[in-house]
Amino acid sequence: MSSKPAIHTEALTKHYGDVKALVDLDLEVRPGEVFGFLGPNGAGKTTMIRTVLDEIRPTSGRASILGMDTHIQSVAIREHIGYVPGDLAMYPNLTGRDTLTYFANLRGGVDWGFVEQLADRLDADLGKKVGDLSSGNRQKIGLIQAFMNQPELLIMDEPSSGLDPLVQREFQRMMREVAADGRCVFLSSHTLSEVQRVADRVGIIRRGKLIAVEEVAGLRSKAIRTVNLIFDEPVDGAVFAPLPGVRDVAVENHHVTLSFDGPMEPLLKAVAERFSLLDITTHEADLEEIFLTYYEEAEA
Amino acid sequence: MLSTVITKTFRDRWRGEAIGALTLVLLFLAGMSVYRDIDLSVYTDLPELFRSLMNIPADADVGALAYGAIYSSYGALTMAGLAISMGSASIAGEEKNGTMGLLLGNPKSRSHVLVSKAVNIVLLTGLGAGLLWLGGIVVPAMLDVDITGIHVGALVLHMFAIAVFHGFLALAVSAWTGKGSMATGVSVTVMVLSFFAVGLLPLIDSVADGVRAFPWYYFSGSQPHVNGVSWGHLAVLAAGTVVFAGLAVIGVNRRDLRGSNLGTSIVDRLREHPFTQKVVNRLAGSTRVSRIWIKTASENQGILIVVSYVMFFVMGVLIGPMYTFIDDALISLADAFPEEVLALFGGGDMSTPEGFYQIETFGLMAPIAFMVVTVLIGSRALAGEEAKRTMGLLLANPVKRSTVVLEKTLAMVVHALVVAVALFAGVVLGSVFGGLGMNVVNIAATVLLSMLLGLVFGALALAVSAGVGKVRAAVYATIGAALVFFIANGFLGFAAGLEWLTNWTPVHYYLSSDPLLNGMNWLHGGVLLGLFVGLVGIAVVLFDRRDLRQTG
Repeated sequence: MSSKPAIHTEALTKHYGDVKALVDLDLEVRPGEVFGFLGPNGAGKTTMIRTVLDEIRPTSGRASILGMDTHIQSVAIREHIGYVPGDLAMYPNLTGRDTLTYFANLRGGVDWGFVEQLADRLDADLGKKVGDLSSGNRQKIGLIQAFMNQPELLIMDEPSSGLDPLVQREFQRMMREVAADGRCVFLSSHTLSEVQRVADRVGIIRRGKLIAVEEVAGLRSKAIRTVNLIFDEPVDGAVFAPLPGVRDVAVENHHVTLSFDGPMEPLLKAVAERFSLLDITTHEADLEEIFLTYYEEAEA
Repeated sequence: MLSTVITKTFRDRWRGEAIGALTLVLLFLAGMSVYRDIDLSVYTDLPELFRSLMNIPADADVGALAYGAIYSSYGALTMAGLAISMGSASIAGEEKNGTMGLLLGNPKSRSHVLVSKAVNIVLLTGLGAGLLWLGGIVVPAMLDVDITGIHVGALVLHMFAIAVFHGFLALAVSAWTGKGSMATGVSVTVMVLSFFAVGLLPLIDSVADGVRAFPWYYFSGSQPHVNGVSWGHLAVLAAGTVVFAGLAVIGVNRRDLRGSNLGTSIVDRLREHPFTQKVVNRLAGSTRVSRIWIKTASENQGILIVVSYVMFFVMGVLIGPMYTFIDDALISLADAFPEEVLALFGGGDMSTPEGFYQIETFGLMAPIAFMVVTVLIGSRALAGEEAKRTMGLLLANPVKRSTVVLEKTLAMVVHALVVAVALFAGVVLGSVFGGLGMNVVNIAATVLLSMLLGLVFGALALAVSAGVGKVRAAVYATIGAALVFFIANGFLGFAAGLEWLTNWTPVHYYLSSDPLLNGMNWLHGGVLLGLFVGLVGIAVVLFDRRDLRQTG
């Protein structure tokens, strides 16, 4: 296991003509973590992955994987990584086993016992031709080829697409095991719930720019609760907006919804002084809301 | 919807058709300007037999020669080839791309889709024919060549008819089977066999009438550029086209559409049968995927087998005995035979077995055969994996990009070797069966040079594929270059003052030393090998430098 960053980028930039797909991306992903890479479609997630894999070359800036330069030492790097591309395609005429043998041969062998174990856990059929498999079952072959060499870094671009919920669970366990083993998973996704479940940290990318990197736990504590208040008469929303920690106030007659971060007491006090409160519920915001908040802020 | 599908397909395909037609017009321009400057007296003494074979009228003049040589042979084959590629891709192509279901998700029938594809074959072939007609009129005017008595319109109309005929044949096979490669294979086989039958059968009295059984006869048999439109012949082609259209409609409606399911091949059955399981599993399974080059060479086996078989049996074994049939007739005419006419077909003295083999087998067919297998691998090796989105996965393994290029090149060489062995064995057997006593070492030398020429074009396709990452660009560029080189080599050799230019075509280093008579020319072989190695080197550099394409 390496103590060097699993992925490190410095001002990584990629332009396609006038399109700025990546802009000055500075990122460090550490061994022993599952790093979620979040962003909407077209934000630059795949471009970032293809750049660090040396499939495409950066316009400026540099990147390293496990301390090795992604361009100069790309072949050496690939001995230590597993990769699941987004929109996975494989050789339709080969069976799952042939496909895995092909990639195993390119890597100089594989522990077939471990492959069988993975196939078992994901309920994958290795005997059928890849072209005859449904997209979810094909995805399983793609996952196995990435995991089978027990790489130090797994780079996966939207890897859960097509998997049924049970297999998704198993796949999430597999990712946690990799991190527990001191290795690293770099998981690009727009499925927030999945990232929320498995990731230690998330990076949020938007229009090619990294707008935040946060601990998932910290992100959650930082943000924020959603508070629902019900009063015995219609109220004026303007009263709530100036209170410390209050955001996104929505008023509908007796009913007020607001986002809130900070201690509860001042809020309750302010409310009780003015109105008669019938009911109050609060819940922790999930990643989705946080994510949307980030985007709204960046948008503003 | 009809017009929507037509418009989309037209938009996807018009460039290929236009580039094909314009390339031919350029070649026509080059050909006619060379013919204008040479002494045509040699042609006036030509025996009728040869004039008919080469499509040269009795009162041969510059115009007739240029139209006959460029439009009637290369032109018609190219137009028909383009139509075949449209016909094959029409139904099977949409099924393969998985877009057929999407298309039929709209409230229109399968017949509707088929008809719009058919209309497109007609429209696009019409576009090509229109450009050729325009070129056929404008070029002589530019060069101040008198074309009185040449029926350009009639020739182009016949070309249009034969092209649409083959396009619809491919459409019918594609509609019945849903297999694009089968549609291409069947139609190209019909085209090539009938092209050669029309050239060869009239030479043999007893079977001369059999030529009427071949579609190509109804294109060129009446010599439309000299005699004008033969409505009877056009009617035969039109009737065939209508029959194919009807068959296509029935075919596409009667079967299940192909989904992602690949079906079960013979190899799959053998892999499951307990008797053969062990061996076949090893060959089709673990051996096949043991190296990149073996996996690549294991693809396109069907085409490799067909090409090897045709070169072995039809162009190898059969040609020898056939020579003995027509031997006597030819020898007496040998003196009158102008090499200029035959230069386009590889040159050679038809009165000797070597010359006959050179014209029939080695001149054009052998290079084409090698090119089919080498260009197929060369164009798809890199760009094909990118288009199918497997290149990223392949290169996520610890292999260098240069290794991938070199392994793919190795697969190309292996395929070329298989064809070379088949061709060599076929010609040797043909010589034995015909009692021709040809020199075996010289045959080997000629096959080797032919293979090297094929590899040069394969490496050109590889280099384009490596540089731009587009299969189609690689195929078109290579075929375009091959056409230009072959025709330039044929013409420039007898253009006063321009002979030296042939040194600049790779084709010159193939047959110009008459290897069937003189044995191996190591200098020429070295030039071809050098070109091949150089182009592969360029491919390595280009592929290493660029961004991989994410989609085709």
